[in-house]
Amino acid sequence: MTPEQRRRNRTAGLILFAIVAAIFAWVIFRGSDFLGGVAGLTGR
Amino acid sequence: MSSATAGHLAPGHADHGHDDHHHHATPTGWRRWLFATNHKDIGTMYLIFSFVMLLEGGALALLLRTELFEPGLQFFRPELFNQFTTMHGLIMVFGAIMPAFVGFANWMVPLQIGASDMAFARMNNFSFWLLPVGGIMLTASFFVPGGATAAGWTLYAPLSLQMGPGMDLAIFTMHILGASSIMGAINIIVTILNMRAPGMTLMKMPLFCWTWLITAFLLIAVLPVLAAAITMLLTDRHFGTGFFNAALGGDPVLYQHVFWFFGHPEVYIMILPAFGIVSAIVPAFARKKLFGYASMVYATASIAVLSFIVWAHHMFTTGMPVTAQLYFMYATMLISIPTGVKVFNWVATMWKGSMTFETPMLFAVGFIFVFTMGGFTGLILSVAPIDIQVHDTYYVVAHFHYVLVAGSLFALFAGTYYWLPKWTGYMYSEKLGKLHFWSSLISFNVTFFPMHFLGLAGMPRRYADYAAQFTTFHQIATIGAFWFGLSQLIFLYAVLRCYARKGEPAPAKPWEGAEGLEWTVPSPAPFHTFETPPEVR
Repeated sequence: MTPEQRRRNRTAGLILFAIVAAIFAWVIFRGSDFLGGVAGLTGR
Repeated sequence: MSSATAGHLAPGHADHGHDDHHHHATPTGWRRWLFATNHKDIGTMYLIFSFVMLLEGGALALLLRTELFEPGLQFFRPELFNQFTTMHGLIMVFGAIMPAFVGFANWMVPLQIGASDMAFARMNNFSFWLLPVGGIMLTASFFVPGGATAAGWTLYAPLSLQMGPGMDLAIFTMHILGASSIMGAINIIVTILNMRAPGMTLMKMPLFCWTWLITAFLLIAVLPVLAAAITMLLTDRHFGTGFFNAALGGDPVLYQHVFWFFGHPEVYIMILPAFGIVSAIVPAFARKKLFGYASMVYATASIAVLSFIVWAHHMFTTGMPVTAQLYFMYATMLISIPTGVKVFNWVATMWKGSMTFETPMLFAVGFIFVFTMGGFTGLILSVAPIDIQVHDTYYVVAHFHYVLVAGSLFALFAGTYYWLPKWTGYMYSEKLGKLHFWSSLISFNVTFFPMHFLGLAGMPRRYADYAAQFTTFHQIATIGAFWFGLSQLIFLYAVLRCYARKGEPAPAKPWEGAEGLEWTVPSPAPFHTFETPPEVR
């Protein structure tokens, strides 16, 4: 693996980890409202 | 399809797969496995772990079927029966099927794209070793006060808010296994996007890599949703929040929405790599190029996208506006279109091919036939008025076992027999393989086909007892289940024979019609492969 490849791998990996963290946080703080409440599906 | 073959390699590059003699020596002893960073070793460990979990989950299934052989309570109290049901589901989904596909990805993705290893070799080690921790913790939950979780594999609130410490262990296990899968998915995405050999464009990749790339994106998108859902369960249980607690202004149905936003794509996470395996095997044994390569890629992506917008078809009985029911019903039906494209392409690949039916092909054709039956019952279940009738009955149990056993598991068997010569350097016994296939196919149908009738007649799932009129079909299913379980010992024996170096030594390319870079390296694949990337034309 070349150093350039290693650098690109690290960048891509960090971006993907950031996406995972963002989705996790979004579901807890906003997503549960969106999926259940805003969609009007839970009857609330 | 324009997948890379040895013939496509630039001159002078064809032997780069086995230029390992001047590199690091192969580690030996326990250190080789504990500190493994080699994708093949880690792949092997994934496959061993998943098979152990398959046996554990299978043993639990047989306990369930033993209890259900006759009406009335014979061996287990209902609480324990529900623990077995829940653990069977959790173990099979998170411990057996998902890790098995990651094991295949570890073994085959670098070999198929001409990479020397996975992008993050140490993280790969960590993702694997989280699995036994999770597996042991989940199994140990049987022995805590109150026993294991009994809320079903979906861990629905409010049941999951009320149970004992076994539920906490299950939640923690799912966090751990989820983290492992997320790391595995990141590894696979980065490997495929950044480490392909020169000339290996995305549209030249074998379909198995494509299906795994799309699956890995699905994992990245939905596993954090599962993690969030069970974290909210945990805070509801111990920290006074009320996300899903009606007494605190929360809503248990909200849990179902969040869970199934993960859960439906999860179904495709367990089947898309299976499509990839079948798409490798059918052309090899039909001795033809895969029909409609590009449409296979687009169909896979379409299935993945659609999987995000159909989640509430699992919840038709919870009460939702008719417009929402109509939307989720029609959106679900749409999935049959890209899935139909795939089945059509497999059949078209076989059409006028010079087909032979070695064990991998038998399992692949068996997969197409029986998985399609599971797909059809899924289409029937997507119709809201029908679903409301058969919701939580054995019809649903039959449906998802047709998809996950005859679908995912048969594809895993097909892939194992197909690549076993590459993994071990020895050919499996064709006689044993065929015996395994026919025994599994027949016993599978003996087990699960009667469940359609049980469900249509009103037999609810997750019950230890039942009315006497269901007895005959339950007895047939139980006999089939034991037969199916015992059939898997044939598989174990056939695989162990290869590892014990019994059987014919395998050539680099044991299948005449097979294509792909993995067949350019010797069998067994050397410890280091493609340290100098091959050039693909």
